Amino acid sequence: MAEMHQIRLQIGPAAFRIASVWRQPLDQLAALYRDYPGPSDHMVDFTVRLEPDKPWRRYIRPSVHIGGDFWLPDVAPLPLGQGLLAAEMGMNLQMALGWRRHLLLHASSVEKDGRALIMTGLSGSGKSTLSAMLAQKGWRFMGDEFALLNLDTGDIAPFPRLISLKNQAIRAMQTVAPADRFGPEMTDTPKGDIRHLVPPKAAIYRMGEPARPALLLFPRFGHDPELRDMGQAEIFVRLTQASTNYVALGEAGFRALTRFVDQVPTRAMDYQSIEQAEELIESLWSRSP
Amino acid sequence: MSDQNFRQSTMTPKYRAGPKDDLIWHGLDSMTLLFHRPSGITHMLADPAPALLEVMDTGLLTAAEIATRLQARFDVESGADTDDIIRARLEELAALGLIAREAG
Repeated sequence: MAEMHQIRLQIGPAAFRIASVWRQPLDQLAALYRDYPGPSDHMVDFTVRLEPDKPWRRYIRPSVHIGGDFWLPDVAPLPLGQGLLAAEMGMNLQMALGWRRHLLLHASSVEKDGRALIMTGLSGSGKSTLSAMLAQKGWRFMGDEFALLNLDTGDIAPFPRLISLKNQAIRAMQTVAPADRFGPEMTDTPKGDIRHLVPPKAAIYRMGEPARPALLLFPRFGHDPELRDMGQAEIFVRLTQASTNYVALGEAGFRALTRFVDQVPTRAMDYQSIEQAEELIESLWSRSP
Repeated sequence: MSDQNFRQSTMTPKYRAGPKDDLIWHGLDSMTLLFHRPSGITHMLADPAPALLEVMDTGLLTAAEIATRLQARFDVESGADTDDIIRARLEELAALGLIAREAG
């Protein structure tokens, strides 16, 4: 087996080891995760491996295959220039397939006054961009990919990974976030243009602090601004679809999710601009208990 | 018992529910959620399926006996339509594995 470089990262409650035959993606990770503490001991929850898909691919048109404790057979290899994306995708994959300590919701979350706003929706709904934008306007960023619902307390645990900005969202965030918080721009990835944004320092330093869920939104970009009530049955079904480990958690997942649906006020939110969304969110937030 | 009556009685299916502890019930606004512990599957049921499960127990019952129990507990009209609906829902619940069906 080829010699591997490695880096260990602690993100919220999860500790990762990223091992790679190439230095470049790990150097990029080290720079972007410079404000994060390393794991407190040598134990990690997951290992992600970045390896060539064929031995000669280490040197000739290098192409990165994502491996690790959990993996999917159909994840295509990426060019070495997108090694950082491969590492991030690998970490997502480990969480999605392997994490059992929380109910995982594919959602972004931000916090204010100890209460969490959770936003979930399909890719392109704007949940990631909205969380990144709110993080620049007085909210604490908790995560743009997974909201971790505590099975016992019902709180949301932060998982403030790098924010994955895509396409137009890159330009929008460059107008409000400091230039030294951005990673390299990767063009023509399987998800379009991608650039990572390091969360604000406060979000990283407070990544051990959970928050009570106070409002759940289903944002939808590109429609006239509107807030709509949703039935509990629809909310429950959509959250099971948004969860990567609901089935695996069995009864504990059922109890956590039914309690969440009972307790957390929920709206569908249509919007056409970030400004509209911020207005709608503030109007709901000021009225939420 | 005549041959014909005998054949009819043997062809009437009977249904029974599993142990009460197998299910965790949770009411949503318009539906009922049931978590089935033995399979780990979450079911979302619309009326009248939850009511059928409520009046059943681990004893074998025909659809007609279940209909009688339903009428005693809930405001259910009696009639051929009602019997058909109840039979259809029982067959669905049996297909989901939430109740057992046995030939009479």
